[in-house]
Amino acid sequence: MSGSYFELLGLPERFDLARPAIEAAYLDRTREVHPDRFATAAASERVAALQRSMQLNDAYQTLRQPVRRAEYLLNRHGVFIGDNERLDDAAFLMEILELREELAEARVAGKLDEVARLQAEMRRRHRGLLDALIPLFAAVEGDDAAGRADALPRVKRTLIELRYLARYLEECDAALDDEEA
Amino acid sequence: MLMQIAEPGESQIKEACRKRVVGIDLGTTNSLVAHVVDGTPTVITGGDATAGDDAALVPSIVHYGADGVVVGHRAAELAAEHPRDTIVSVKRFVGRGLRDLASQRALLPYELAPDDGRMVRFVVGAGDARREITPVEVSADILRAVAARATAAVGGAIEGVVITVPAYFDDAQRQATRDAGRLAGLEVLRLLAEPTAAALAYGLDRGSRGLYAVYDLGGGTFDVSILKLVDGVFEVRATGGDSALGGDDLDRAIAAHLLAEAGVTIDLAADTEAGAAAGAALAQRRLARRAVTAARAVKERLTDADEALFTLSLADGRAIERRVTRAELAALARPLLDRTGRACRRVLKDAELDAGELDGVILVGGSTRSPVVRAYVAELFGREPLCDLDPDQVVALGAAVQAEVLGGGEQQVVLLDVIPLSLGIEMMGGVVEKLIHRNSTIPCGASQTFTTYADNQTGFDIHVLQGERETVEGCRSLARFVLRGIPPAVAGMARAEITFMIDADGILRVTAREQVSGVEASIEVKPSYGLTDEEIEQMLLDSFDHAEDDLQRRNLQIERVEAERILAATRAAIDGDDGLLTDDVRAATEAAIVELRRLAAGDDHLAIRAGVEALDLASKPFAQARMNRVIEAAMRGRTVDDVDHSLAHVHPGDHDHDHDPDHDHAHEPPDGR
Repeated sequence: MSGSYFELLGLPERFDLARPAIEAAYLDRTREVHPDRFATAAASERVAALQRSMQLNDAYQTLRQPVRRAEYLLNRHGVFIGDNERLDDAAFLMEILELREELAEARVAGKLDEVARLQAEMRRRHRGLLDALIPLFAAVEGDDAAGRADALPRVKRTLIELRYLARYLEECDAALDDEEA
Repeated sequence: MLMQIAEPGESQIKEACRKRVVGIDLGTTNSLVAHVVDGTPTVITGGDATAGDDAALVPSIVHYGADGVVVGHRAAELAAEHPRDTIVSVKRFVGRGLRDLASQRALLPYELAPDDGRMVRFVVGAGDARREITPVEVSADILRAVAARATAAVGGAIEGVVITVPAYFDDAQRQATRDAGRLAGLEVLRLLAEPTAAALAYGLDRGSRGLYAVYDLGGGTFDVSILKLVDGVFEVRATGGDSALGGDDLDRAIAAHLLAEAGVTIDLAADTEAGAAAGAALAQRRLARRAVTAARAVKERLTDADEALFTLSLADGRAIERRVTRAELAALARPLLDRTGRACRRVLKDAELDAGELDGVILVGGSTRSPVVRAYVAELFGREPLCDLDPDQVVALGAAVQAEVLGGGEQQVVLLDVIPLSLGIEMMGGVVEKLIHRNSTIPCGASQTFTTYADNQTGFDIHVLQGERETVEGCRSLARFVLRGIPPAVAGMARAEITFMIDADGILRVTAREQVSGVEASIEVKPSYGLTDEEIEQMLLDSFDHAEDDLQRRNLQIERVEAERILAATRAAIDGDDGLLTDDVRAATEAAIVELRRLAAGDDHLAIRAGVEALDLASKPFAQARMNRVIEAAMRGRTVDDVDHSLAHVHPGDHDHDHDPDHDHAHEPPDGR
């Protein structure tokens, strides 16, 4: 079977999925085909179980995380985001740049609580953008062709913004980590 | 009178497929073996009380003497007198090169062979018997001794073992452990992460569900894993640790502290056994060994006492006698424990959890007996840890359960483990591109396409690395290989697709394929600190006292058993799922069955193996169809509408970087079932 990740897990193909449901769908299936269940079977069955398990793991890793799920859905709609795709929005870029400078200063000065504050703020923002994806995807997944055409580029833009925010959050983690080390 | 002749039932076929299996905890300090008896995992003890063999634990100590190899308690007795020829804590050297040991060479009484960029080798014996021995061979000697114990208890040759490894062991260390099993003549069914094994033993013991942290501090390694237990599935959420941190380090820290305080220096630099220096070197080695042993004794006494006496007689007739308090021990342990604390915080972060969300913390490993360690863990996680199963035995018990699962037993649990460290390849400029991230559930795979950077480039240099850092220097090099024979073209035209596959042991296989020409290269990642297959074959031959035809007979036996197993399994599958067979697949499969039966009656083990492979190939479409059926059968009665209904009006799950309030907790079954 070489269906989509959603088909593999028996889930409806849409963005708005709850993690518990994804988990349950994955566990129900992986429990049945895990290679350990076929350890004494013929090699062809062992290989088949291994391949199916890998596919399920792949599907689960992708769908359980909203950002990866969203990118996967976007790709399924024929829209792709390049590795180094940049946002053509000077105001947004400037703002992120300033936030990074703030973070760098806090990091150099060893102000951990300041780093934590910036991190919390960015997490809120990250979550807000994820929430914003729900209505956008509702339009993408809806029947209105015009609405879809309008929503797809906005989904893409939101996902690129999320990449910037994710990188920023990684830097926050790194800043908190060097205090640990 | 008509006799009813029963077809062999499913249970009989299962019985025929079942293997005699055990689980082995190959520990830094002690090793032990367990098996499942009537559904209960049980540790196997030795028979010889005079040798201390009645106990469950076999000290992981091997003595290489003039009279041969001695393992366990008897080797322990020889350790002080023969420090160089008695290897303790060999696990710390497994899959390691000399450079890896730089930070932990203090007080090591061994003679190590010069660095040749490969794995560490100990020099043992003297004169004609002087030889080099690898950690893989030492580990194999331990495994052999432990397996011999099991053979006696189980009443027949062991057909399969599950060997536990620290969750944080990297690919090289896992490969080396697998090699040791092979060298000991064991069929290694699986390498199982130690904390996962422990959770298995605990979870089954209490029928637990929920989120658990396993804090596993052994003699030489530290692991921490977060697992979610639900309905017979043990899902590792994240794992972390330090494969060079354990009770041994505390022993050496205590010894070093007390020696320094007494102004005693031990010089182990003279790695020579020649002439007059030999006697001095031996004396120094003995002193180092005794100092560490005395430190360990003090540490162990401080488990129950508040004070203990450290005594060490020195070469010049003086002696160190010093009271050590538990508070002093705690102070010496603190830097080591803080390292475990950092790993714990990181693993919680990886699992996107706060310590407060856990349902329990499980203690594993001999070092967690210490009240100093327990107090630290309690503070770290904000709760009293669980330690009602023997921390020395719990890993072996879990391994036995998993062995039973893999050996075709009744137990129906599924373990979903993860890889501890990210895997990637080197890009231009010494940057590492990660293909598979740490804490990915195994088995898994990933592939990525790369292009040439120079005109007329005819090869791709593929350097496989493991680790979390962005640069090559910060990661461990696992292997290098070259994809050759690419047709010359302008830069960027040729495209190599590199595929990583990690099996359920956490062992990596890499293939590279040039997409335009179809040139292919693949490698089971091995070389850096591993042994080649040829080396293992040679060691196996050397280790058999018997002649080559004995090896032939052994191979024949193995292949015949395998053929019988496959024949029984295929027959059972056909009987059970007859409807899934198309006519041509049936014809091909039946023909392959007949052929394999014929071959199995002969005595050519390679022909039998080929017959097994042919049968597998013939029945492959059938296997695929059965796999689909298995899932369909499991999902029957549940419609997409059910799933859909359960999803309505729920927030879209987790964040990459945040905790999710909707994150389900194992107490309530997911989606209302």
